[in-house]
Amino acid sequence: MTRSFQTDVLPLKNELFRLALRITMNRAEAEDVVQETMIKVWNRRDEWEQIESMEAFCLTICRNLSLDKLRRMDNQTETLEAGHDPWDSSYGSNPEEQVMQRDRVMIVRQLICQLPEKQRSCMQLRDIEGKTYKDIANIMNISEEQVKINIFRARQTIKEQFRKTEKYERT
Amino acid sequence: MDYKYIEQLLERYFAVETTLEEEEILRAFFSQKEIPAGMEKYRDLFAFQLTERQEAPLGDDFDRRILSMVADVQPVKAREISLSQRLMPLFKAAAVVAIFLTLGQAAQTPWDASWNNQGTEYVVGYQQQVDTINVTPIQAENISDIPVDSVKVIPESLPKD
Repeated sequence: MTRSFQTDVLPLKNELFRLALRITMNRAEAEDVVQETMIKVWNRRDEWEQIESMEAFCLTICRNLSLDKLRRMDNQTETLEAGHDPWDSSYGSNPEEQVMQRDRVMIVRQLICQLPEKQRSCMQLRDIEGKTYKDIANIMNISEEQVKINIFRARQTIKEQFRKTEKYERT
Repeated sequence: MDYKYIEQLLERYFAVETTLEEEEILRAFFSQKEIPAGMEKYRDLFAFQLTERQEAPLGDDFDRRILSMVADVQPVKAREISLSQRLMPLFKAAAVVAIFLTLGQAAQTPWDASWNNQGTEYVVGYQQQVDTINVTPIQAENISDIPVDSVKVIPESLPKD
């Protein structure tokens, strides 16, 4: 099986972007990450034939580069809120404000942004990209059990927030 | 509509016990218009997942940029073509020419034992310049695409034994 950049790497661009965006929460940084990922993957093309899954390989590099970016962003005292997309700018963190928005998709996005990186990356890879626990474990370099724990915590946080929001809506 | 099944799936979803297929079922269910009141609050969680999946902002511009960067970093590796692949068109052309020459030769040859002995003389005869009259009509037509007046090109004589 001969792999090529155009058929095996380039088509992954948007999946890589989505993961990078989930981690960095900044569109411009996410696009940079995808670019850097692809060049890094290209520079390691002598390893391609030994790789079982090109997708997992690329996602792993993407995540690591995203984490590097995130660390640098934090070091520049850029808070997590800064540099976010306009649609994420409503950061009403108390449930009453959220209820007034009455837009749970925004709430979900906001909730996820506030989760620790491992939880939101696991959730991204499972709920949005539809990856198996095994694949996610491989990409994140953690055990399958840890993947499940991260997903469990993320989903519980969201469920709990919905419960609170509903409670406020009823009063 | 059996909401019991969906309720069970939801419970398992939050316990991280659902399969990928079951998670797809939940997303499909929650993209419907009519959702029972008790489950309404989960609608946007699953709608969000479907929306996010469609996030695909990197288009052709991105492709062009990356491909040019990759080309700068290293020369683009040319697709390897084997020697036999390279020569195949030539082989084919040579085969066609050989067929025509053979047919032409066969048409000229008296069908008796004597043609065996003509050997090199015969071959030499057919290697003559194309613009001489010692060329059969078939050969002459094959040399150029112009139809040839047979009378004018029939050789005066064939090599004799």
